[in-house]
Amino acid sequence: MSTVSPVLRNRSARIALTVVVAIALIAAPLLLPAFANQTLVRIGVYAVAVLGLNIVMGYTGQVNLGQIFFVGLGAYVTAYGVNHGWNIIVVFVAACAIAGIVGLLVALAAARLGGLAIAMVTIALPIVGVPLAKRLSEFTGGSQGISARFSDAPDWSGLYSDQWQFYIVLLVTAAAFLLARSLVQGKYGRAFGVVRENEAVAASMGVSPYRTKVLAFTIASILGGASGFLYLAAVQYTSPETLSFGHSISLLAAMVIGGAGSIAGSLIGGAYYVFVPQLTNAIDPSFTTLSQGAILLVVLFLLPEGLVSLPRVIRRLGRRRTARPTSGNPPQTAPAHHPVPEAAREGLENTERQDRP
Amino acid sequence: MKIRTKPGGVLGIVAMASIVALSLSGCTRGGSGQGGGSGASPGITDTSITLGITTPLSGATAGPGTCTVAGVSAYFGAVNAAGGVKFGDGKTRTVTIKSYDDAYDPQKSLANFQQMVSDNVFAATAGLGTPTNRAYRDAAISEKFPQVLVMTGDPLFSDQKQSPWQLGFVPIYQNEGAAFGKLLAASKDQHKVALLSQNDDYGKGYVSGFKEAIKDASNISVVGEQTYEATDTSVDAQLTQLASSGADVFFNAMSVTPLTIAALQKAQQIGWKPSWFLPSNTSSPTAILEPGGAAAYPGIYSVSFAKAPQSPAFAKDPDVVKFLSELKQYGNYPDMPAFPHCMWSYMVGATLEQAFKNMTSPTRDSFMTALRNIKGLQAPLMLSGTSIDTTVDGQPAVSSVIVQKYNGKGYATAENFG
Amino acid sequence: MGMGTFIQLVVDGLSTGAIYAALALAIVLVNQATGLINFAQGGLAVLSSYIAYVFVRLGLPLILAIIVAVVLSFFIGALVERFLVRRFERGDPDTAVVVTVGLLTLVTGLCAVLWGYNNLGFPSLFPLTSVEILGAVVSVRSLATTVTIVVIMVVLQLLFLRTKLGLALRAVADNPASAAFSGLPVGRLLMVGWGLAATLGAIAGVLVAPQLTLTPGMLDTALVYALAAVILGGLSSPIGCVVAASAIGVLENLVAVYVPFIGHDLKIAVPFVLIFVILVLRPQGLFGRKVVVRV
Repeated sequence: MSTVSPVLRNRSARIALTVVVAIALIAAPLLLPAFANQTLVRIGVYAVAVLGLNIVMGYTGQVNLGQIFFVGLGAYVTAYGVNHGWNIIVVFVAACAIAGIVGLLVALAAARLGGLAIAMVTIALPIVGVPLAKRLSEFTGGSQGISARFSDAPDWSGLYSDQWQFYIVLLVTAAAFLLARSLVQGKYGRAFGVVRENEAVAASMGVSPYRTKVLAFTIASILGGASGFLYLAAVQYTSPETLSFGHSISLLAAMVIGGAGSIAGSLIGGAYYVFVPQLTNAIDPSFTTLSQGAILLVVLFLLPEGLVSLPRVIRRLGRRRTARPTSGNPPQTAPAHHPVPEAAREGLENTERQDRP
Repeated sequence: MKIRTKPGGVLGIVAMASIVALSLSGCTRGGSGQGGGSGASPGITDTSITLGITTPLSGATAGPGTCTVAGVSAYFGAVNAAGGVKFGDGKTRTVTIKSYDDAYDPQKSLANFQQMVSDNVFAATAGLGTPTNRAYRDAAISEKFPQVLVMTGDPLFSDQKQSPWQLGFVPIYQNEGAAFGKLLAASKDQHKVALLSQNDDYGKGYVSGFKEAIKDASNISVVGEQTYEATDTSVDAQLTQLASSGADVFFNAMSVTPLTIAALQKAQQIGWKPSWFLPSNTSSPTAILEPGGAAAYPGIYSVSFAKAPQSPAFAKDPDVVKFLSELKQYGNYPDMPAFPHCMWSYMVGATLEQAFKNMTSPTRDSFMTALRNIKGLQAPLMLSGTSIDTTVDGQPAVSSVIVQKYNGKGYATAENFG
Repeated sequence: MGMGTFIQLVVDGLSTGAIYAALALAIVLVNQATGLINFAQGGLAVLSSYIAYVFVRLGLPLILAIIVAVVLSFFIGALVERFLVRRFERGDPDTAVVVTVGLLTLVTGLCAVLWGYNNLGFPSLFPLTSVEILGAVVSVRSLATTVTIVVIMVVLQLLFLRTKLGLALRAVADNPASAAFSGLPVGRLLMVGWGLAATLGAIAGVLVAPQLTLTPGMLDTALVYALAAVILGGLSSPIGCVVAASAIGVLENLVAVYVPFIGHDLKIAVPFVLIFVILVLRPQGLFGRKVVVRV
């Protein structure tokens, strides 16, 4: 973090920027049309899910192909609680806690195993989850799904429902992102990074790889549960299709597209998850699969580190262009994964995972 | 095969992306409201009306999903080419269809619904799938937005009290199961029945309707009952298990084409040759029965309300000839329909046209009133003995089905079993 | 239910397992050659099957159409490696996996655009007649499929363990840098690895297409099972993954029928629970040497 841009180094400027962003976010739903609010609401839902995935996968390096299971679990718990008249705060806590407990149990067993075994265990979650949700129809409504409405705007608020939902989602999403940000900047963030790079080194440094992995996985599950709560706030309905394996893979793609190991990237990933189907629908609803695949590949081809690296890449290109006459470096042909060190740490990405030398 | 019903959509998305800029210039709320009592509802002008279809156009159910768009587009393509529909208020309007892919994901179908509201669509129609239709049902009710003639046999959509802005099109699954149960119960012989059903509301609906119909029939006993998942690659184990029950009638509530073919092949391989019952959407003579070698069985029964274009009996039927040519010309669907949803959604077109003709003012209220008052409409492609009736609470637009028996080439009406 | 049913269930399970095994072998091959888990393997196999279908429709005899498709698949695989995957091979493995997911989506979408979503009948090399073995009935088609897969498995096993090419492929996958240092043509080998895997996928595709019928998503479910078989059998062992795939197929059937509580809806959980237990006991898989962790 040696080259933080001057504007952001200035503390009062940063506070001012934060205040402006906060005011914009609070004012936005009042100004935006309903569809824009509804879209932003869905982005919040999936941004939280991607954030959880990023903690366990992007930061800690543990493959997780089952994040959607925790989203679905959180959604089902929320639906059950709402339909049984629980207080909404209790519902929210339950959605996070139950998902977290299940995640903890899975992690306690799976984290003993190597990377691929975790992949396999997590792949099983949505795949078994779908028939299980159908089987437990008393709680889940079976294959017809279950509706639960708690996010319609109350009369006293004078708001439209989409505005009310926006504030619910904004509250939870902002809290999740701020907590995650301070987590990855602190000592746990460093532990995640060390475990990701080399478990032996981690152990020698006094960081237990096992405990770190369990922690990351559990946090991811809690965030998954929170995302499920938001899912129900936004969609007001859930069914076994919600937790299908394909969506889990889409979440993974969204995480990498946004930027693995980046808090800001998680938000971008959530936006990608929501926007791309809308975009491909607008291009031609019959060709959505083709265009989604093409978009994913093009983005990754241009930005292998995700959309979050776009400003960095632009800056680097600019710098290289000015530097070219003097340095005789040939243009890079080989895929350079590890970015040029001087360009790696700059701008806003002080939440980037800290695993690179 | 491709269906393009929303040209120029890229511009639309660009506009949507710059929606923030637009909103800052003032006009935010208003247009997308609820029509407000007087004046026209959104999505209808003096010259046109816009309908929206959210349906799976990608993924495992894209085959039938594509049909739902193709059939409606074919019907109204021809109607538009002939000048449009003369509405009950005296104005002639053309019908625009906007389609949206939901990939059978409930969250996406809700998003598509929200997009429809923002795109000024008048009504949603013909979309396929129970969870996807349920996902935006509440939203459609609070928006007072018609969600009608949808392709699900879920009874909820035909319950007027719970679903005031909805109406299902296809018979509820229970009706189809019951039709076969009644036929069997009327048989003079003893029958042992094996049941295999898809593990969702589709399979469950068929089975419950069937069981209800044979409840009091002492000559019918259910000797085996299994389920499968729509995502399974094989149902061999279920067939082996059911074959060992010694059943002489096999009720196979299956909606997956390759599995149905494989099941027909497998049962005869292991020497089990019962009479079969197959649902209306997996009983195509050319696409399923012939490759499955169905002639080996004593009888294949199915239910239907649509003429099957593949069937030689209907090859020269004027309805079928017209339908196929319109499907090719306006539905962008050059192949012989592999799924009955193409025919069904074509009938949806005819039903909607009838409602349009009867609606006296350009509002959603008036549309719903007109739609709920159609009786005895013989839509094109309907089998004689069936008709559209939207006036019965608890029943979708089509509630009567004809039980048919496969005769080696096509189907003929079956009066009794055996 | 008697012994006859039991044997029939086992035989049914083996022929279902053969479908998973076919795809699993291709995944093992790519993993051995490049160290990647390739989600697009099923998608590429479907594309190959469509190519064969096109040549059949053009009037080529089936076997010739298949050979043409298989050969073309080699080049498709190699080109995909060279122009798409290469850029990501040394990077973050997560990114590389997502690239294969993107490739799967792209290829599925391409098939859908070119051939639609309707189920297309694909002719079978083998007749649908059946033979009796130990009182169980098995179709010649599944029998021949199984035999073909076993043959491929043996060939692959020999390739990896007994040939220079196999050794070189594995060396590149294990450590590209040192392989390059010792003079191996790393790029060329990676292309060959992907090409061979695509070839194998093509064979798998045309073997199972007659039963599943051609659709763009024909192998989506099979892919999940194939992945399970690959992990269970150990990523490095063709024999292991075929055994695992067969075990999954048989076990699923038996558990679904004889343990009614699990039934046909939850039988899919069985292989995963099994994998979990086995991995806790033996982390390298049933037959694996050591796990090359790149996912």
